[in-house]
Amino acid sequence: MFEKKDVVIIGGGPAGLSAATALYRLGVKDIVILERESKLGGILRQCIHDGFGLQRFGKSLSGPEYAQVFIDEVIENHIEYHTDATVVTLAPDRRIEAVTPEGVLSYSARAVVLAMGCKERSRGSIMIPGERPSGVFTAGSAQAYMNIYNRMPGRNVVILGSGDIGLIMARRLTLEGAHVAAVFEIQDHPNGLERNIVQCLNDYDIPLYLKHTVTDIHGNSRLEGVTVSEVDDSCVPIEGTGKIYPCDTLILSVGLRPDNGLLKDAGIEIDPRTNGAIVNEHLMTSIPGIFSSGNVLHVHDLVDFVSLESEALAESVSRFISGTLSHDRDISVKCGSGIGHTVPQRVSSGDGFSLSLRVSSVMNDVVIKVRQGERDILQRKMRKANPAEMIRLDINSGTVLPSEDLEVLVE
Amino acid sequence: MLHYFDAAIIGGGVVGSAIARELSRYELSIAVIEENPDVVCEASGRNSAVVHGGFAYDTGSLKARLCVEGNRMMDTLSSELGFRFIRCGKVLVGNTDEDLKQLERTMAQGKANGATGLELIDSAKLHELVPAVNGSFAMFSRNSGIMDPFLFTINLAENAVMNGARYFLSHKVISIARKDGRYVVHTEADDFSVKWIFNASGKGAKAISDMLGITGYRIIGSKGNYLVLDKRLGPLLPMPVYPVPSNTYMGIHVTPTVDGNVTVGPDAVNTDDFSYYGVPADKMEYLRESASTLWPHIDKKDVIRTFSGILSKWVDENGVIQDFKIEVRPDLAPCAVNLIGIESPGLTAAVPIARYAISLMAEYTSLKEKKDFNPVHESAKRFAEMDTAEREKAIKADCRYGSLVCSCEKVTEAEIIRAIHNPLGVHTMTGIKYRTRAMMGGCQSGFCQMKIEKLIEKELGIRPEDVRYLRTSSWVLSGKMREG
Amino acid sequence: MKKTFTCIICPNGCSLDVDYDGQNIIVKGNLCKRGEIYAKEEIIAPKRTISSSVRLIDGDMEIVSVRLSSPVPKSMIFPIMEVIKKTRVTAPVHIGDVLIHDVLSTGADVIATRNAERRS
Repeated sequence: MFEKKDVVIIGGGPAGLSAATALYRLGVKDIVILERESKLGGILRQCIHDGFGLQRFGKSLSGPEYAQVFIDEVIENHIEYHTDATVVTLAPDRRIEAVTPEGVLSYSARAVVLAMGCKERSRGSIMIPGERPSGVFTAGSAQAYMNIYNRMPGRNVVILGSGDIGLIMARRLTLEGAHVAAVFEIQDHPNGLERNIVQCLNDYDIPLYLKHTVTDIHGNSRLEGVTVSEVDDSCVPIEGTGKIYPCDTLILSVGLRPDNGLLKDAGIEIDPRTNGAIVNEHLMTSIPGIFSSGNVLHVHDLVDFVSLESEALAESVSRFISGTLSHDRDISVKCGSGIGHTVPQRVSSGDGFSLSLRVSSVMNDVVIKVRQGERDILQRKMRKANPAEMIRLDINSGTVLPSEDLEVLVE
Repeated sequence: MLHYFDAAIIGGGVVGSAIARELSRYELSIAVIEENPDVVCEASGRNSAVVHGGFAYDTGSLKARLCVEGNRMMDTLSSELGFRFIRCGKVLVGNTDEDLKQLERTMAQGKANGATGLELIDSAKLHELVPAVNGSFAMFSRNSGIMDPFLFTINLAENAVMNGARYFLSHKVISIARKDGRYVVHTEADDFSVKWIFNASGKGAKAISDMLGITGYRIIGSKGNYLVLDKRLGPLLPMPVYPVPSNTYMGIHVTPTVDGNVTVGPDAVNTDDFSYYGVPADKMEYLRESASTLWPHIDKKDVIRTFSGILSKWVDENGVIQDFKIEVRPDLAPCAVNLIGIESPGLTAAVPIARYAISLMAEYTSLKEKKDFNPVHESAKRFAEMDTAEREKAIKADCRYGSLVCSCEKVTEAEIIRAIHNPLGVHTMTGIKYRTRAMMGGCQSGFCQMKIEKLIEKELGIRPEDVRYLRTSSWVLSGKMREG
Repeated sequence: MKKTFTCIICPNGCSLDVDYDGQNIIVKGNLCKRGEIYAKEEIIAPKRTISSSVRLIDGDMEIVSVRLSSPVPKSMIFPIMEVIKKTRVTAPVHIGDVLIHDVLSTGADVIATRNAERRS
């Protein structure tokens, strides 16, 4: 009943594709990719803007082009994949069931790679007050409507949140003839990349208001307008500052979260800071043989880093299958002052690894330190540290001792 | 166009649809006239979804009597109509001597009302039932429960349609005239010439009553806001937890849903605007704080949605809330059953209310039972609830069962398409949502709404700009980006 | 003339200080050569590239994504969008296919950025 596989990869987006191709290169060929959409590529399929691949390939590609590089490699190497295949069961013993129009696929895997990507925070999850008309979209939904389905979400637009997809959508909607009145950001700094502020907003004279948020939504049928208020230093709306912006469309670009539904089913430990799995330096979760990378592990800013992380994961999976993955210690990585989260959260060997982290607020002229006991393992000076930008530190093999927990902090 | 019917039911919510279904047992032609594009747009789809025990209402009132009846028949209704109902019980928790006295009074009243399965329990028993609850003792109502209010209403309506009733959605009534022993109901779309009228229009009941010539009712709106929490929390809450009730208000409670979410609410704010369902920021925080005194697991991070509902309460000149009013006034409006102030427990009591209303009609006209009335609404098992073998079989029979459209709630293309072609002819996005649970999950439609919108276009052969979300002018998209 | 730009070439988003005396342009703050080129262009004749979609006939989807092969003067973006909106192509289309050659004589081509098969 259960087909045996060395590796089952859940998700055919950038993380899954990178993991699959890297595994194949490492000689692990008995693998299968399960993708719920009708095509491989994941969210990159709808990210038709350019700017992908500068780190990985040294040139600027659109999302579909970036994905195609990996898809071509999958096809060339005859790596097995199924599209329209939604995983409905992930058991801790690494048995997997996926539903497809041809029937239920059942696998028993030696290793599982979780590469399901992320989902957007919705109106409900940020508790925007007001009525519930149509016309409120997350940026990614609006992007899918336009770039995949050829549908216009609306004509008079307000955007809440300065995440990159929101900025990209401001430009896209403007080029398609919609009027984008403004982008509002609750924090005192933009959430997206500076280059997107320049080329998506400034170029089109779309104002960005920091320390503003939507405090009411109007309309019983279709959206008629939003009330926007200024917020104080703790992001609380200031009474009396509300101003109504008439609009028929509100786009929310208010953050991404790992799509972790399957993790809960399998009983994988979740880090409340990242909402992804707790992993060790081999990107292995709390369940042996189940690994995770990409946006389902922690939300990345750049797809290039998703690929790099997934290629590192492939190394670990390959070693796990050959029984050479070391595990001789159990050390936690603690978030000290100024650190929002880290990945990995645990260390189980002396192997070198890449430590990803985000700081918890905007800081200037700081030193990020990785410390074990009294000993500084690593220091990185930064002119500017911003929570919107993920920081990666390379921890060399042999530098982490078997004894004490690690602490990452900002000084 | 002018349609002729024996009876018109104005309002297709849970009470109107229950009347339609119960009336379709008889040899009558029946029209249900509903102003919205679906039957769960107002109070019927905006409530706590609790099946009440009947202890909270004055002894001798219609509310008490019909609620107790409704509670008793809910298992039968659930199996006939195929909506989910769980008799999970509920607790009203207290801490003070005053609370205890109030609970004793509530219990005595419940017993007098005919409610069964009521007992006072101590802290140990309470915490055995609901581990994390804050409270020193409680009244436990074994027979209370939770249900799916959407499918209860929808399946009542669909069962009525199966038995010959016709639904006219998006037909807002403008006036009613009495002519030659019949009523002419004039709506924004069609007109109806009917012998009998049932006014089951909930929040619009006073307006319809006035049109019938039965004037003078004073109705106030009581608006309640709710938070909806992620399914993570459902397993932690085996049954609804209520505070000690006052005479007129149940208090903010936490309630598991049949799908495993948790709702928090409602507060109660008087309003005269029956169409404003906005949820204000301060109320969200108030709900969280207030309900946290009962149950400690409420965290902003788990909120996936908010909603509100408005109860239409009949009050006297002093503002005191009255019983349900279900009447025929031959002096003012012969051949019209007028239902006023149908608020909570209207969901629990919907079918007994309907039967009571029909019994009033039967005093004036003889009703002949149909031989072929079928009380059973055949519902297909949800894909989400099938085991692997059932899934294999379903996909083999129809490969669209193998295409998951909503992966959060595991809803398949086959189920979406069936919902699009529903017997009531509801064509909205929310119509699909209430019938299938698609778009109700953690991502709140982020991934699946595009696919559902596309299926609606394709199955109904309509343009993107003609797809609607909930109400008549709630367009979803402005059109195609590239024409041609 | 002194100006400060944010470089938009890559996600680093370097802050570029540009000094232009009418003849010579001095760029500071760039981490790479591309930043210098960008800054020089930006001060004399700013250029941008865009991505969009073209109507696809007989394809697996209704549209195919496209981008410009090289940046064009900012002022040309909306005129080019008008051309893109009117263009129809027939499947199949492959990544890199030139769908509109030398659009509005800017020297840039509109090229496909995904493989679009014929509708099956």
